[in-house]
Amino acid sequence: MQEATFLILTALASGAQHGYGIISDVADISGGRVKLLAGTLYTALERLRADGLIGVDREEIVGNRLRRYYRLTPDGEKRLAAEASRLHSHATAALRRLNLNLAGGAA
Amino acid sequence: MSEREEPALSISESASLERGYRRLLAWYPKWFRLQNEDEVLAVLMACAQEGQTRPSLEAAADLLKGAARMRLRPMPGQPRTVFAAVWLMIAAAAAELGIMVTLLATESGIKAEVITRYPAYAHAIGHALTVQVIVDEIAGPIVIAMWLWMAWMSSRGKQRGRVALAVFFGLTSLSVLYALSDGSLVYAPAAMSVGLGLWAIAAAAIMLIFNKASSPYFQRREPALA
Repeated sequence: MQEATFLILTALASGAQHGYGIISDVADISGGRVKLLAGTLYTALERLRADGLIGVDREEIVGNRLRRYYRLTPDGEKRLAAEASRLHSHATAALRRLNLNLAGGAA
Repeated sequence: MSEREEPALSISESASLERGYRRLLAWYPKWFRLQNEDEVLAVLMACAQEGQTRPSLEAAADLLKGAARMRLRPMPGQPRTVFAAVWLMIAAAAAELGIMVTLLATESGIKAEVITRYPAYAHAIGHALTVQVIVDEIAGPIVIAMWLWMAWMSSRGKQRGRVALAVFFGLTSLSVLYALSDGSLVYAPAAMSVGLGLWAIAAAAIMLIFNKASSPYFQRREPALA
């Protein structure tokens, strides 16, 4: 799973959001490192929709502009959980080994 | 979650920026625009900087990349077999274009070569070659247009597209058989292999488009856009 896709799913994990909400949430989650552009966002959203990982929650018109809210589907939740635990175990392994090496170097 | 209103743009700034974004969004496939254009535009406008009157280079490149990637995907509801067949037909059109360009580019070279080899028949052969090239110049664009039309119709699930493909495939098969039976005297090996290659593309497209997975797509009245 690409990082942008992972972050989009993460942004939707706590509830439905619209496009601009996802962009600013992804920036928050990544500590400002990942700035999604609209083209990238909608390429990803379209794929996630086609794969059944997200769905449209509702639509609103705010100040003459369409706002469509997206939410995770049960499949999307499963995929995100699986991906998160995979990344978690990799990250844990990496940190553990780095610590061991650091300890070994100090000894 | 941060809520943000559109930044303060004057009416003319906002209109100019919106026009710029719409021009970029025009590169997306129609089904995507029907479904998402207004929404993407809302996000783009919400991301605008104060006083911005045209899309940034970065945003423009990102939108064009998105448009290209969207066109390389099957439309919603379009079976993968149909999508693959459509791209084969576009590839065939590109191949025909390549052949046409090659013929035009090499015409004078071939003429010169023939004339130095057979000076006695120079006039007749030169004339025959010119006639042949003119025929190819006329037939080439027609065949290319045929391929593109069939690709377009098939991608939209129109029955006429696949019927035309079947007829076209029949004719191509006949001409390949004719060329094979007529022997290698008439056709150069290169021309033969190009012809066979195109026939193979058409055969693959036929198999994909008359596949069980493709058939339901051609039996609906209107292609789904949602």
